[in-house]
Amino acid sequence: MRKLLAATLGVLSAIGGFVDIGDLVAASQAGARFGMGHAWVLVLGVVGICAYADMAGRIAAVSGRAVFDLVRERLGPRVALLNLVASYLVTVLTLAAELGGVALALQLASRVSYLLWVPVAAFAVWLVLWRMRFQLMERVFGLTGLALVIFAVALFWLPTDWPELARGALHPQAYGQGWGAYWFVAVALFASTVSPYEVFFFSSGGVEENWTAADLADARTSVLVGFPVGGFLALSLVATATVVLHPHGASLSSLDEVALPVVLAFGGVGLAIAALAFFAVTFGAALETGLSAAYAAAQYFGWQWGKRVSPREAARFHSVLLVSVLLGVLVLATTVDPVRLTEYMLIVSAVALPLTYLPILIVANDRTYLGDRVNGRMSNLLGAVFLVVIVAASVAAIPLAVSTGMGR
Amino acid sequence: MRVQLGRQLLDRQIVDSAGRLVGKVDDVEFAVDSDGYPYVAYLLSGQGALGQRIGGRIGRLLVAVADRFTENPPTPPVRIPIGLVSRMDSAVWLRCRGEELPRPPVEAWLRRHLIDRIPGADRASG
Repeated sequence: MRKLLAATLGVLSAIGGFVDIGDLVAASQAGARFGMGHAWVLVLGVVGICAYADMAGRIAAVSGRAVFDLVRERLGPRVALLNLVASYLVTVLTLAAELGGVALALQLASRVSYLLWVPVAAFAVWLVLWRMRFQLMERVFGLTGLALVIFAVALFWLPTDWPELARGALHPQAYGQGWGAYWFVAVALFASTVSPYEVFFFSSGGVEENWTAADLADARTSVLVGFPVGGFLALSLVATATVVLHPHGASLSSLDEVALPVVLAFGGVGLAIAALAFFAVTFGAALETGLSAAYAAAQYFGWQWGKRVSPREAARFHSVLLVSVLLGVLVLATTVDPVRLTEYMLIVSAVALPLTYLPILIVANDRTYLGDRVNGRMSNLLGAVFLVVIVAASVAAIPLAVSTGMGR
Repeated sequence: MRVQLGRQLLDRQIVDSAGRLVGKVDDVEFAVDSDGYPYVAYLLSGQGALGQRIGGRIGRLLVAVADRFTENPPTPPVRIPIGLVSRMDSAVWLRCRGEELPRPPVEAWLRRHLIDRIPGADRASG
């Protein structure tokens, strides 16, 4: 019974943990501008992240090593250092966007400018990282994030034309905005679904919780069930935006507009629940990105890391954590609009995707780490196909961003 | 013992007998035995050693950053006698506890000047 409860909690927190500011912005943007035409991107992304999370989890459980350990061992110190710098910058940029999301959610609830909330949010994030237990942290924010289900519920309250939604999903159209913009949004949505920090976080969490082959089954279930259901939540964001925002044909520019469908359906209560959900998912993701940035650095240099030891025994790890949160605040202090920042962050992460995913695929086939638990044929096929998609998205990201002027 | 230095030793994680992370094998130091054969005598761990191994501008930057966060630069690497290694698999495992080795200088500096000054630094959150 207790085990079942733990497994359920694991699944539920994976669902809440899957969605972050990137999904909120990219999914609603896709729905508002192109209707259901990007549904396939979410499906593709979820299949890919499941395949790679499974590999990263297996590596963590069998070899006891997290992703960035392996990046350095496989790529050598010089190339891995470049990888570290790029991954770190992308992750800190994501952290900044998540902090902006937390502040925007608080603005939505309080009508006090988000800029005043940024330092409060950053301090709260740091404090939780400094003091709160790992599992508790994951569960509190994962479970609260489930409030996002209000978007799926709203679909039944709104005058939804279901056959029309299905038609839109099967026949993508450019709606006179050009296919360049369509593909730009597709790349951003894809990047939000397969954010590299999710893999860093998942594999480091596995090492920190001392997974063995036995725990692997549970971890696998929570991801293989949790991520697809998380993808379903993102899909309901696309769908509500299609129903409410798409008819006006406007491009989305604030978090208020993301919440608009549930406000139309449920009024003030809807707004309150949406703000709570936004707060939980962005706060949870801020914790994950902050940790992931510090994990990457610590694992590259071999420092003691993790929340199992006291901060003074992992002084370098906690210093990087602190600096990363401060850098996030610094980015937001330029008064860059957090929604725009998220859009830029997604394009930069799209470019950096292969840096994370290629080493995982290589190590998942290395018998010196995994013995006879290396990838089977199915995993390799899935992994290879997905890698091709990742490389294509990575190569296309910058040209698309430039040629469409960030999708305008 | 036969080991491929590049594939099985360099850049691996060093773990102490209690499972704490000590550092990476950033470089190795050779000695020559009485018959004139070279052998690996020490594992070197530390950002300075890594910087010198990488070399060039990036390597010098790593060394400079390490020196900035140390009491007495230049920062020496932590030298671990090869005899302390108990086994090598996906990590290099030591026979002894990390506390018996010299403390990494940058860790000590950051602990003293930053982390220890924040309340709650000595409690693990788990």
